[in-house]
Amino acid sequence: MTVDLSVAIGELHLRGPVLAASGTFGYGTEVPLLERRALGGMVSKGIFLKPRQGTPPPRIAETPSGMLNAIGLQGPGVEAVIRDYAPQWARWDFPVLVNINGESAAEYGELAARLDGIPGVAGFEINISCPNVEQGGMYFGNDPRAAASVTEAVRRRTRLPVWVKLTPMVSDIGMIARAVEAAGADALSAVNTFVGMSMDLSTYLPRLSFRTGGLSGPAIHPLAVHLAHQAARAVDIPVVGVGGIMTAEDALEFLVAGCRAVQVGTATFVNPTAIAAVNDGIAAFLAGRGFGSLADLPRYLPRD
Amino acid sequence: MQSRSAVLDAPIVASREVARDMWVISLEAPEIAASVRAGQFVNLGLGGGFLLRRPFSVYRTEGDRVEVILKAVGAGTARLLAIPVGETVSCLGPLGHGFDFGGGVKTAVLVSGGLGVAPMPLAARDARAAGLQVTWVHGARTAAELCSESDGDELIVATDDGSAGFAGTAVAAAPDADLVLACGPNRMLASVAERWPEAQVAVETYMGCGTGVCLGCAVPLTRGGYDRACTEGPVYRAADVDWASLPSHLHYAATV
Repeated sequence: MTVDLSVAIGELHLRGPVLAASGTFGYGTEVPLLERRALGGMVSKGIFLKPRQGTPPPRIAETPSGMLNAIGLQGPGVEAVIRDYAPQWARWDFPVLVNINGESAAEYGELAARLDGIPGVAGFEINISCPNVEQGGMYFGNDPRAAASVTEAVRRRTRLPVWVKLTPMVSDIGMIARAVEAAGADALSAVNTFVGMSMDLSTYLPRLSFRTGGLSGPAIHPLAVHLAHQAARAVDIPVVGVGGIMTAEDALEFLVAGCRAVQVGTATFVNPTAIAAVNDGIAAFLAGRGFGSLADLPRYLPRD
Repeated sequence: MQSRSAVLDAPIVASREVARDMWVISLEAPEIAASVRAGQFVNLGLGGGFLLRRPFSVYRTEGDRVEVILKAVGAGTARLLAIPVGETVSCLGPLGHGFDFGGGVKTAVLVSGGLGVAPMPLAARDARAAGLQVTWVHGARTAAELCSESDGDELIVATDDGSAGFAGTAVAAAPDADLVLACGPNRMLASVAERWPEAQVAVETYMGCGTGVCLGCAVPLTRGGYDRACTEGPVYRAADVDWASLPSHLHYAATV
């Protein structure tokens, strides 16, 4: 039985509901053994206008069922992305969204304007949730006015789909979700990593040089499902669930909780073919339950 | 290089103790055994609640088998040592950029400290295949911690406490050569860099993915910025690494 996994996120049509999450897939050219057929789409590593060195090592630490990272958005800057990666994206049969970052709303807008119209750039994911930068990042994401101003700054400069990636480090994610929806977002990605910290008992210092890092992996899955569900209840635009997905069942929980698609991240570090396994597992689950399409999957989404 | 890597469920086929608390584990991984070059590594999935894979230099190959060497220094390596022969671990590799034996050189000295023996048997194999005269200088804190296996045309041993061979470090005991390859604690590699700026050294870092996407294994460079131990490394020209900024004393070992 063939199952129709296609899904529309606003005007963006995906052949399947599983995307690669930003920062876990590079620019799509690095992952070995990649099964591109299974990708609904990809979100690029977060970029800024200018090149960035990132944070000093150690940048990662494993924790129970999770990992902390503080990479600091190392990257080559927008011009190198346009030159080196966008031409490859333009040849792929799935959309690539660029995760964009800035230290001010104006910088986000500049970045969107520079990338708008570049072949291979199918849309944007606004990162107002990176916990590992000194300026901007998460600080835009936990104030509804700042979140809305960044979203508006991007919306004014592009007609491409604009997704906003939300931070979990807020007391009311629905309030942020509504603010960015009103500012013109086409979809939400929920959620980014949780801020965490781990101490080294041999040095009596934090295990990460940045002191704190973003927690990802299975440890955050139920937290992320809850927040994605809260966001989905608060808005009419689609929510893309992200956080700790290792298996098809983990992804299906987000979908049943009201998300239209999902992103797989840390699982790719563990298993380079994780996205294909999740995608194929969703298809097998739907077929096994007698559903002909993803749209038939029941969703638990009482409205606020 | 990475396009040739494979991920296999590799049966553990044997293990042996080669120094006090230092073990070699042999895995059945034909595709990797056939293509791995000295200095490259495999990333092993441990299971049992450990999320991230752990990187290990390939120590030797034997037919369809690859061998890795480790000490039970952390919970992850203890877990790997506890997996019985016959069970499988997920083995991703070969990964990374290994040693380079080109350039018309005639002699090579391999300098290893402690678990820094990890890439050296393959390095000796590839160096001799390239026609080089190979001297291996092998250092440890004490005689019991010296790896009992060696390769090459000449072996020099050194111990910090003088209980075997030269009393002092492997770096101090080593002769000069056209090509210097080194692996060991990062503080040892920093002294290698002072004596032989052109040496090729295999560094240790924490690693996330091992495949170049997570940027977790950042190596600070003297020219500024960082690159990835898993992709541009783990082998570097010694003078290219900003040793003062590279953490040492890791919980688990990438290449040492």
